Amino acid sequence: MSFCEEQLARVRPVWERILDHRFLKETRDGTIADQTFATWMRQDYLFVEAAIPFIAALMPKAPTAHRRALGEVLPVLERELELFRERAAATGVELEDLKPSFVNHAYVQFLLASAFTRSYAEAFTVLYVLEKAYYDSWMAVREGIDRGSTWYPFVENWTSDAFKAWVEFLAANLDALAADAGVTEREGMAELFELTAKYELAFWEMAATGAGWPCLEEET
Amino acid sequence: MSFSDELHTAAKSIWDAQLEHPYVKGIGDGSLDEELFRNWVLQDYRYLKEYARVFAWAAAKADRLDSMGWYAAVLNVTLNTEMELHRQYAARFGLSAADLEAAPMWPTTRAYTDFLVRTAADGDMADLVAALLPCTWAYVHLAQELAKGNPPEDQRYADWIAQYASQEFAQAADWLKAEMDRLAEGASTEKRARLMDLFVLSSRYEWSFWEMCWKGEEWSI
Repeated sequence: MSFCEEQLARVRPVWERILDHRFLKETRDGTIADQTFATWMRQDYLFVEAAIPFIAALMPKAPTAHRRALGEVLPVLERELELFRERAAATGVELEDLKPSFVNHAYVQFLLASAFTRSYAEAFTVLYVLEKAYYDSWMAVREGIDRGSTWYPFVENWTSDAFKAWVEFLAANLDALAADAGVTEREGMAELFELTAKYELAFWEMAATGAGWPCLEEET
Repeated sequence: MSFSDELHTAAKSIWDAQLEHPYVKGIGDGSLDEELFRNWVLQDYRYLKEYARVFAWAAAKADRLDSMGWYAAVLNVTLNTEMELHRQYAARFGLSAADLEAAPMWPTTRAYTDFLVRTAADGDMADLVAALLPCTWAYVHLAQELAKGNPPEDQRYADWIAQYASQEFAQAADWLKAEMDRLAEGASTEKRARLMDLFVLSSRYEWSFWEMCWKGEEWSI
């Protein structure tokens, strides 16, 4: 069993809750409130913005063979931001002066702290899990959503052949990194695998509930 | 008004909310349930490990030799003195060194320390100090406020207050405030606004840390 398969099996309870999340089901069924989807759009827009420095921070540690792929994903993220802006304009969602929710802020700090303080293999684990979670999540939405849905362009984006190939590239290379890792590093990779999955679940929950910060005024 | 005073004004409502927090008040009057205080002992130990990393980044990035020396000294004290004192203090609550090491990092501790380490890594010195300052300064502020009342009967809480209200901790906070003022001198309006955002964010995390210790916390799965 490969490292990815082994870890996905280990975090299956979290993964099942991600794929079974009401945000995804309601998006698939067309019953999601516009305001709820807009909360996700605003927060994920910020998250994609933060993913760019995360990828960039991996670069100095990356093996030469990974640099091209990491470099090529940066304009892809820029295009994702453009998709958000286009959908926001079409649906009247405001993307100016956004503030991250608590969960979003925590997740982004986790990404950057992992990139700066952990090994490349550990930080690469975080990248794989967050992309794999999005691929699986949006695939679950794709099975049943009305192709004419306002939100279908997001489904297309994260279930495309190109995105699937990117996730497969990440899986293959994560398996290779794990094969070369010592016991301690592999434990660190497993720890971050699980934490990233938990943040993914927390992100859907935050989007569904609109939870902001746990103290004082809300800012989402 | 110095820049650090401006920062304090920006976060004043959050600092006031910390003083009013039942957890902090419970330490002050000694009414806090011992079981709940153990949450702080365990989580603060995990926090200190990451907090030390921030001083390591600061020593690496400092622009002046005396600043570099100060951060290096704090790093040394944190790792080799304060954490040992923390272990001894934890023993007074029946917690062993193994308990401290085995305690899971709760989500708020994780988020706050990731925020500090990330800011220390990718920000400049002014960013780093703005994010770091609320922890050092607010603890002294809270403890000094609590010290104005009658000391709690439980000596363990009284010692907690005395430690953070001590001259040694106050001097450290004053040094960092002066460093903040120096680093912000002549900074653009945008830069000062960013520093203020970082300071307010850390202040919010400080409040959230008390809330976490008060209510307990776990991952949603």
